[in-house]
Amino acid sequence: MNVNPITIAPVFPLWLIMLLFCLALAQAAAQCVKSWTKLGPGRALVISLLRFTAIVVVVIFALNPSVVTRKEHRISPAIAIIVDTSKSMGQSVAGGKASRLGEAKALLMEGGSSLIESLSKKYEVHVYGLADSLRPLEFGDVARLQAAGRKGDVSAALRAISDRNSVAVLLSDGNVKWNESQAQQLPVVSVPFGDPETYQDILIKGISAPSIAFRDREVTIDVTLKNYGYTDLTLPVLLKDSGRLLSAKNIRVQTNPGESSVAFSFVPSEVGQKNLSVSIPQQVGERIVDNNQVNLSIKVVRDKTRILMVSGNPSMNYRFMRTALKSDPSIDLLSFVILRTPSDILNVRSYEQSLIPFPVKTLFLTELTNFDLLIFDNFNYALYLRPEHLESIRRFVEDGGSFAMVGGPNLFDEGRYGLSPIGDILPVRFVESEFYRRDPSVRVRLSPAGAKHPILRFGGEYREGDAGPDLLWREMSPLDGVNLMEAKKSATVLLETAQGITWPILTVSEKGKGRVLALTTDYAWKWYMGMVASGKGNQLYLMFVHRMVRWLTKDPSLDLVQMILPETTASTGQETDVRIRFQDGVPSRISDAAVSFSVFNPEGVKIDSKLKPSPQPGEYIVSFLPQNGGIFRIKVETPVGQLEESMVVAGPLEGLDAGPAHDRLQKISTSTGGKYMPRKDELTKQIEQYAQKAEKQFVEEKRVPLWATAFVMAVVLALLSSEWYLRRRWGLI
Amino acid sequence: MAVGLMGGWIPSWPKFALGSLFPHFFFAQLKYRGGEWDPNPLFAEAIVEELELRTSIDARKARRVMQLSDRDLFFCPFLYMAGRYEFEPFTQQEREVLRRFLTYGGFLFAEDTVGAKGFGFDQAFRREMRAVLPGYELKRLSSEHSVYQSFYLIGSFGGRQRVNPYLEGITIDNWTPVIYSQNDLSGAWSRDRFGKWLHACVPGGEPQRKAAFKMGINIIVYSLTSDYKRDVIHHPFIKRRQNL
Repeated sequence: MNVNPITIAPVFPLWLIMLLFCLALAQAAAQCVKSWTKLGPGRALVISLLRFTAIVVVVIFALNPSVVTRKEHRISPAIAIIVDTSKSMGQSVAGGKASRLGEAKALLMEGGSSLIESLSKKYEVHVYGLADSLRPLEFGDVARLQAAGRKGDVSAALRAISDRNSVAVLLSDGNVKWNESQAQQLPVVSVPFGDPETYQDILIKGISAPSIAFRDREVTIDVTLKNYGYTDLTLPVLLKDSGRLLSAKNIRVQTNPGESSVAFSFVPSEVGQKNLSVSIPQQVGERIVDNNQVNLSIKVVRDKTRILMVSGNPSMNYRFMRTALKSDPSIDLLSFVILRTPSDILNVRSYEQSLIPFPVKTLFLTELTNFDLLIFDNFNYALYLRPEHLESIRRFVEDGGSFAMVGGPNLFDEGRYGLSPIGDILPVRFVESEFYRRDPSVRVRLSPAGAKHPILRFGGEYREGDAGPDLLWREMSPLDGVNLMEAKKSATVLLETAQGITWPILTVSEKGKGRVLALTTDYAWKWYMGMVASGKGNQLYLMFVHRMVRWLTKDPSLDLVQMILPETTASTGQETDVRIRFQDGVPSRISDAAVSFSVFNPEGVKIDSKLKPSPQPGEYIVSFLPQNGGIFRIKVETPVGQLEESMVVAGPLEGLDAGPAHDRLQKISTSTGGKYMPRKDELTKQIEQYAQKAEKQFVEEKRVPLWATAFVMAVVLALLSSEWYLRRRWGLI
Repeated sequence: MAVGLMGGWIPSWPKFALGSLFPHFFFAQLKYRGGEWDPNPLFAEAIVEELELRTSIDARKARRVMQLSDRDLFFCPFLYMAGRYEFEPFTQQEREVLRRFLTYGGFLFAEDTVGAKGFGFDQAFRREMRAVLPGYELKRLSSEHSVYQSFYLIGSFGGRQRVNPYLEGITIDNWTPVIYSQNDLSGAWSRDRFGKWLHACVPGGEPQRKAAFKMGINIIVYSLTSDYKRDVIHHPFIKRRQNL
């Protein structure tokens, strides 16, 4: 302890204090001279001395003297021990007796001079586990650590602990994330585990593939392989689609360690979910086999909906439907209009007219499968199509294509369609001798099924006026011509005539894998112009046509139930959420009991899943815990529809690169000013050296004022009171 | 003459004209105030006969006379307007109806049967089009326009007179809802009840009349098929034939 001299801290500027002191001194001297003759020298001196003393006390108070004491302290540094608990630390070390993490735990805890025990005698020791995140641990937790997480981020970990620790000890195999630009001033002593010299593995390190692909457009999948411990090896890489071999390529492995790349290309021909896998065969001595295969899922969608429309003659129905189809940029329309029938007489040479041959063979036998939707608009097939063409159309629908028949006097050709393969797929059949009627005009109404059907449930998309959907259709312009048809039992009538005998106007059904629709009128265009005439827009008609197309082609945007899969690949052992969303227009209250979910693992076995509340209205969250990797199927059944999707869950070791990366540890230590310590016998000594360098000390300073305010006031008052008393007594007052 | 008469002899595709209010095609002629709204009252029969004879279009010979205030106007997608003289301006409400009709899918074929540029009907019609579709103007339709290729490949321009070797039109996006002619096509189509043409076609005579029928059919087909002939599959065929 050092006692410093008394220090002053004037409450006023020093010059002011001195000036006041001089003035007071002069005044005391003048008083002494004045009272000298009246009281004599003795008494004059006493009175003046009292006054002088009071002035001196006031001056000393103004100078504020105090005593300062200083005390030095030393701080013992804290040491952070970071244990890498990512999956790669679970790999066995050479000899196969223990894992890398097991060795790390032994170093920390076992033996009389374990690292934790040695260091905690002198220093404060903090232990952390590092994988997906940094977790503080108690000493007792170390023995229970398991290698289970993904690569930990050392940069972020050092940022989080640098204010509480003076040196960090990193126990790892080097499979960590490290960003040198974010290096902290916290020296890292890194201790490597695993043996790069003896480690052998070949893995699929990365796959670059689009999550969405377009049908009939080439998809490229880039595959990157990494190898440890193998050279001059030729490996087959296999691309499979749901277990069926799609493509195979050989790849040459030359350097150790090294990376190789291979690219696969294929053209998906069908819309839907594609469950693919890329795999390489197991090699002799390979440490991990599960990282030899990667599953991936690609959703194949159509870039454009391709429609082939054949119209029996130029008509308003054709033009307005063409307008509607052309207004949707996602539709690619190829249309043929029969401008002239064989009975019409051509009065010019062929090169003077613009008619082109109707390529029926090409369209209906060769190219039909390249379309999504075939529309016959008031088209008399008998003049152009042969039985094999009609048979081809039937197969097209049964195999997943879609077909729409738009009405008119030519539509059913006096019933001959009924006996053809097309009659087999149509949702309606001819019943009357009079198959088409133009008078009287008739209005339509929604059938009960139509009110619920996606084609006519415009929901939030159309809100013109307050009319409900049924009133909306009743107010539509009457139709001047309808086909007199009967719906088949397997079909659903959505719109029907509202007057007289009820005839179906819009009827749909499913046939095989495809969908069919019959709009049995050639006057639907009046709905378009009727809305325009009433001062409204043409949106309703456009939406009607667009939704017919979307329903026919099974466009997912029209599905009442939609499944939203996780954006990132799900992992084994991690709870996975899948959102189920109901489209606008679905009754807002569907009881939870009416919605059933099933989740099937890659072996096809149903696994436990639970329903979780969602903050979004009309949305459910299905949660499940995948225990293994592969393709999982999720099936949803509701009163308004069902849906099934598949998703990829990555296996526990899928894509795991467990090759010891000791060079990364060296880099971490170098860039933080620490040390890479492959020899563990001098580890404690080395850590202590860093800890000693980091020892800190500080000086505690204490200031004690010599004068308390009340005491000074009392002294001044006592001196001045005494002076006043003596003056009075000696007759000066 | 021969063209028109042949129509009665050759059986064509069965038609369902019956009592239909709005068959697939019919002329709805616009009646307006002032001028002369119906300069060729007998024009429809011959062109509709020709239409039925040559094409698969379901048509009706009887024309309907419409005014812009008629409620059924919007169900008459082919509106025909002709005249010789200047007519009274449309009211603001009539202009609004016509604008809506043309903007949302209606079609207007207009004819100045006199062919006096800048006078009479021509002057009044251009004035009304400027008011009905401001921002758009009548322009000469290029030889690539679908109306010249919709059925026949038009090489020569017919009509009772030959004022313009082209049609004019107002095009909005890819659709031309207004087509305008000053060649008096309807004058060339007109014939009396005995089948005799009412007007001579000058200076080209009967070939000019034949060309007028071709143009009439192309305009009607265009109104029912829009720019269908611009589709990729048709275009190469048409170009090849035009180059023959």
